[in-house]
Amino acid sequence: MPLDTRATDAKAGRRELPVSASRSRILVVEDDANIAELLTRELRGLGCTVDGVRLGGDALLASRSTDYALMIVDLGLPDMDGVELVREIRRRAIEVPILMLTARRRVEDRVVGLASGADDYLGKPFAVPEMRARVLALLRRPARLRGEQLAVANLAIDSEALEAMVEGVGLALPRKQYLLLELLVRRKHHTTPKRMIEEALYGFDDAVSANSIEAQVSKLRRALRLAGAAITIETRRGIGYRLSSREAGAH
Amino acid sequence: MARRPAPTPEELRLLDPDRMFVERLAADRAALATSVAAGDALRTRAIVHGLAGAAGTFGYTAIGDIALELDAAAAAGENLSQKAIFSLLEALERSLKSA
Repeated sequence: MPLDTRATDAKAGRRELPVSASRSRILVVEDDANIAELLTRELRGLGCTVDGVRLGGDALLASRSTDYALMIVDLGLPDMDGVELVREIRRRAIEVPILMLTARRRVEDRVVGLASGADDYLGKPFAVPEMRARVLALLRRPARLRGEQLAVANLAIDSEALEAMVEGVGLALPRKQYLLLELLVRRKHHTTPKRMIEEALYGFDDAVSANSIEAQVSKLRRALRLAGAAITIETRRGIGYRLSSREAGAH
Repeated sequence: MARRPAPTPEELRLLDPDRMFVERLAADRAALATSVAAGDALRTRAIVHGLAGAAGTFGYTAIGDIALELDAAAAAGENLSQKAIFSLLEALERSLKSA
């Protein structure tokens, strides 16, 4: 495998940022400061926003409060094994794509990593162009896969067409209300913090007043009620919002 | 796995523009010498594991290859031989002189 670092050069790899990477938010879970720095630099070069933590516990907290497009998880973390971390993320029904990173070379380690719920595996040492290619491949994947799963009670969402339907009938929603609904459905097993909703609905330059989110939620509740959706948006005081299904035993 | 060719100075510079990894190699070399002299197997293994994961990625293939072999041996429950550790120290020394 040749060491081709030329792809780190602007001339070779950064003339056009891939649409799939641009503005994607990625969590890097890596305790080796040099590797974390290298990953951060390269991912930012792809146009991604990068958060970094070195502990599995911090990664769990971050993955609950932020909707990441991808997580890169090192297998050997100071406080827990990366496999354990990935299992816990999947147990909490967080569907973020995960790229596992490790110096362990045995086939059994790769199999265990993938079986725990990781989507891909990159062995250390890695070549930067390969890391970038795998990241881009994973960022291309989830929109298609997750789009098939977006349904709660009698509500379905086609994330490709940006359309919500109640019992197969299209629900005409303005853009912000659609984005809010899609976010809540994607996180149907979790309370969605207000900060996350703000990030999803508003750009950095948008003015967001204190009750902007409440106003959007109120309008969306009304639209859902009028359409006969069998879901409600519950307020978790001081935290955020969570979808609740009126179907027995389901959220 | 096929051995990678030695990187050019330009490739090393692209991977480590602030020379932070070179500084880390120097710190690891000193810490490894200390841990070996003190018989601190746990600390030695931690340094070796770190180098196994990072050195090859930053283009220091000779260091990375030795560290990977040592790390695999340690993971298999073997004691790390003094000879192998000294070869890692020598590889670190050589790389630091040319860096």
